[in-house]
Amino acid sequence: MTDRLPLPMDGAASRITPFGERASATPSHVRHRVAEPAAESAPSRARTPASLSELQLWVLSSITEGEPSSTEVDRVLTPGPRLSARDRFEVYRAGYDARLLECLRDDYPVTAETLGEEDFAALCHAYVRAYPSRSPNLNLFGGHLTKFLLERSEIPGLGPISPFFRDLTALEWALVEVLHAETPAPFDLATLQAVPIDAWACARFLPSEAVRVRAFEYPVNAYYQACRTGDRPASLPSPGTSKTAVYRRGLKLWRMDLTPAMARVLEALLSRETLGEALGRIETDASDPEALAEAERSVMVWFREWVNAGFFGGVVLE
Amino acid sequence: MNRFALPNLGVGLGLRTVHYSHILEHAPKVDWFEILSENYMQTRGRPLYFLDQIAERYPVALHGVSMSIGSTDPLDFAYLSELKALRDRTRAHWVSDHLCWTGAAGKNTHDLLPLPYTEEALRHCIARVRQVQDFLGAPLALENPSTYAGFVASTMTEWEFLSALAEGADCALLLDVNNVYVSAYNHGFDAQQYLANVPYDRVVQLHVSGHTNHGTHIVDTHIGPVIDPVWELLGEAYRRSAASVLLEWDAEIPSFEETHGDALRARDFIGAEGPE
Repeated sequence: MTDRLPLPMDGAASRITPFGERASATPSHVRHRVAEPAAESAPSRARTPASLSELQLWVLSSITEGEPSSTEVDRVLTPGPRLSARDRFEVYRAGYDARLLECLRDDYPVTAETLGEEDFAALCHAYVRAYPSRSPNLNLFGGHLTKFLLERSEIPGLGPISPFFRDLTALEWALVEVLHAETPAPFDLATLQAVPIDAWACARFLPSEAVRVRAFEYPVNAYYQACRTGDRPASLPSPGTSKTAVYRRGLKLWRMDLTPAMARVLEALLSRETLGEALGRIETDASDPEALAEAERSVMVWFREWVNAGFFGGVVLE
Repeated sequence: MNRFALPNLGVGLGLRTVHYSHILEHAPKVDWFEILSENYMQTRGRPLYFLDQIAERYPVALHGVSMSIGSTDPLDFAYLSELKALRDRTRAHWVSDHLCWTGAAGKNTHDLLPLPYTEEALRHCIARVRQVQDFLGAPLALENPSTYAGFVASTMTEWEFLSALAEGADCALLLDVNNVYVSAYNHGFDAQQYLANVPYDRVVQLHVSGHTNHGTHIVDTHIGPVIDPVWELLGEAYRRSAASVLLEWDAEIPSFEETHGDALRARDFIGAEGPE
């Protein structure tokens, strides 16, 4: 029923750990192309920047938006001993995409692996244009990718993209979120054991920040795990709803598949509903009597697992 | 000794995630670590777990890439607040960033973009460095960047700009001798002339690293090992500054021992066994 899969931090698997460097170096895989000589006919933007502010806006738009003409570049930038002004500027233009692509590859390794180098680069290129970084920090830069995929079914330079990738990116981003979430405080089991029997129904549990429950249209966790173990399926999975808890216990990231009943109870508890209210969700929602009976038998087992997994940091009695 | 009385920490290494486990498990003898500030900001999770333990055991300094001191956008005080808190949390000896801008109009490229070396840019940077130092309550060390393009509008050399900025803002400097080498190659100036014109009483730290030479230009990739001409520049800068030395290695990072071994080559060129 459960699938707890630690993501190792070191060794061969470290490449899929969403925790890359954000250093000052220029990425080594920048493709430095020699600029095409033409472009003289490209429409020239305005005059030569007169102030620092104008100059910065010109540089910024020339890097992140359209390619400037050689004439424009020559008005602003100097040639070097071996390269024209335009070719020198190309280092910055190429570096922009390369740096952000590197960041997104760190955060979405299985998406990158599944799409392949070229298609992932096309996806990132489009994403960077739609959601340019507006933060001094790259840790959360990739956080809009699922939303970006929900907003469109076709990606420029890539074409139609399967809705499966919405789920895959959502799972991978959940891993990033729990990695950066506050380390859960250990649950005080003595406190839990001291809860009187008749107070359990009114108990509320303090949720760990490092837990996410995600609902999917595809069995994305199984696919992710197959990729993790080097056994990536030849084709994308068929649709099929699933729910997965993503969490961090100590330093390790884990994933746990949830049945619909488990998910309802867990989500209620994480929303700080009382235990009685959370259990009531099974009674309210379950339409299958056998499933209901099974859920009732299992609920204490689940709860024990969730406590051990660090989903809760404490209990409050009312 | 520099005018800020900041200590010579010895020969250190840029802290990188791939080395966390080795450092915590083996507690290698390393003079100090430089921390990439932004890797530990906007996070409350695993990165800080490692950082806290390492900062507990080793001297550290913070090195940032996102202050964007030369940008015409307003200073980001939320960023600065978080940076200050990180400095206090790690008891970092100093905070450094780059003489550059990273974005404008609210958009961030996360690249270290070059500034035109003009009087306007100089006045702008001086005012902002002063603001930052007032906020941090400590000198800021600014690093000379590697650059690949120059501006028609520039009216002074980089070393003239850097010196005037340091004097005008009363800030510290982080002299990256690899960046001097890279920019000298890319712009055709003399690295020795650059080094001869640095105000060494403001230099609190020296950087070395590897780079990638494409023939037509050099890119500051921080892929080591450091080449001898860069080590020689380090030796010269060290003789004039006696500042802390640090190796940056950011891509294709080898084992901790190999990376640290390359850092320790610095001692062959600076003639020092460790911190004072």
